[in-house]
Amino acid sequence: MGLRNLRGRVAWVFDEDDFDIDLIIGIRNIKITDVDELAKVAMADRAPGFAATVQRGDLLVGGRNFGYGHPHYPAMRAMRHLGIAGVVAESFSPGFFRGEIAMGFPLVTCPGIVAAVQRGDEIEVDWAAGCVRHLGRGLSLPLQPLGAAERETLEAGGLIPYLKRRIGRTIGVQ
Amino acid sequence: MLAARVPQTMTEKILARASGRDHVRPGEDIEARPDFVISYDFPGYTDVFFREAREEFGVERVSSPERFVLFIDHMVPAAAPKEEELHRVTRAWGSAQGVPVHERKGIGHQVSAELGYATPGAFVVHFDGHVSQLGAFGVYAFGARKGVLEAYVSETLALTVPPTVRVVVTGTLQPGVMARDVFHHLVRVMGPSSCAFKAVELAGPVIDAMSIEGRQTICGQAMFLGATTMLIAPDARTLEWTRGRSRLDLEPVWPDADAAYERVVTVDVSSLEPIVVVPPSPANTRDLKDHLGLQVHTGYLGSCASGRLEDLRAAATVLRGRQVKPGFQLHVVPTSQTIMAQAAREGLLETLVEAGAFISSPTCDYCYGRIATMADGQRAVSTGTLNTPGRMGSVDSEIYICNAAVVAASAIEGRIADPRPYLGVA
Repeated sequence: MGLRNLRGRVAWVFDEDDFDIDLIIGIRNIKITDVDELAKVAMADRAPGFAATVQRGDLLVGGRNFGYGHPHYPAMRAMRHLGIAGVVAESFSPGFFRGEIAMGFPLVTCPGIVAAVQRGDEIEVDWAAGCVRHLGRGLSLPLQPLGAAERETLEAGGLIPYLKRRIGRTIGVQ
Repeated sequence: MLAARVPQTMTEKILARASGRDHVRPGEDIEARPDFVISYDFPGYTDVFFREAREEFGVERVSSPERFVLFIDHMVPAAAPKEEELHRVTRAWGSAQGVPVHERKGIGHQVSAELGYATPGAFVVHFDGHVSQLGAFGVYAFGARKGVLEAYVSETLALTVPPTVRVVVTGTLQPGVMARDVFHHLVRVMGPSSCAFKAVELAGPVIDAMSIEGRQTICGQAMFLGATTMLIAPDARTLEWTRGRSRLDLEPVWPDADAAYERVVTVDVSSLEPIVVVPPSPANTRDLKDHLGLQVHTGYLGSCASGRLEDLRAAATVLRGRQVKPGFQLHVVPTSQTIMAQAAREGLLETLVEAGAFISSPTCDYCYGRIATMADGQRAVSTGTLNTPGRMGSVDSEIYICNAAVVAASAIEGRIADPRPYLGVA
């Protein structure tokens, strides 16, 4: 069983390094739990009207150490609700990476991606081929493969289904 | 014939024992049994773990509840009924599970050390990465985020053994330079993602000479180097501190002299001067001297990173016989009740109160703006963990991270100030 490829437009390029994802919704909104409300405030400080521009399957692109800081969950909950299918970044901050993989949200480490794409470009993440393709320019960049547990977590659709499989396996052994 | 000995780092030794192996290597996928599972209650975390363990996995009782501990340190005291309701859910869960719930004792990352969960050689998990400060006691402690759920529903946790970066801090610290400065200097020299997905072993003469408190300060911020965690090899001071406290009879671990490190970085701090970390992220370490005079409205001395006795002593030395500038808000929040009581015995609280500080019992709540919330255009000097815009109030307020003495000196002047003249060292 393999991971499904991601194909979509680049909805936004966060080109700054060490980007704190809490800024996507604004820390003042971090206690909002209603995902419709979160989606309304997402990107309000940077790109008013962002929500209307997103199509299901679109991707975010990030710089180096994307998710630095205290990577709380509401920002990406909001993004998923808008239809964002994953993030392709130069590199990720480990806390953010662990947390979002656990949510079953694909994160793709792909050095060179920020310089290679612009907002609106269509890209494809090909897990089997190990690359990210720029569909307009015919360009391809290698992606960094996932670890076994991360891959299995994404394949299962998140931490809970993954743990159900894993724990079932452990019980079988004992 | 004896098997060839495999040289190992501290991380590898601890994870080998916890996974029942002779040795492990970086990159190896293992299932390790946490010696302790530590959490604080927070909406979306503990309440969800409790529910998911029961409803998704049918786990009515956690396995080996003596490994678990809960702290109530956020939303203390509660300011809304739903906050108190969350605490009530936590108390009830702990009571039903036979898991201790410690509340109003201080910030859990500190109190867990005081209560002996920082047993040298232990493997500890939490959802919050600042638990890495238990590494000051030779513990492998990391924040698994939601992944900690695995420890609630099974005996073990799957993880990949990280490579280790050894960081050797050499030289001699100048007077007025604190552990907090050393950490942020490491970020400046090494880079905020320099240790991504790696464990850091911290060593060298500066660390050897450093207090336990200073070591906790540095290890607790490991995530801002990108590190999974940070550990210091136990020495006489560590063993003295943990004796009589440790909850497990474990062999402490030390790195082998021929252990394989991904790299070794040596940082000399002899010429280091106090720093500030400017907005918007902990990646931005700057020299204090380049930011002196900037107007500030509020100061926070506390958090899991700082707020221990040496921080309170430094602040009291600066403020003794002096006054906080009228209109400036200085909030001093000792990290634990034990620390607060000792500060009272030493007369530090009296000194700080007489200088005009507002002193609170231990709580996490100042660090993230739940109380002492800033308005638009205000600016703080802070020993809190993070300086993201909006963390301590309005998104149009700013946070400058610095050491405790800088907070105190800035409170006197109402602008970012050098504490060394007040400390009598410059």
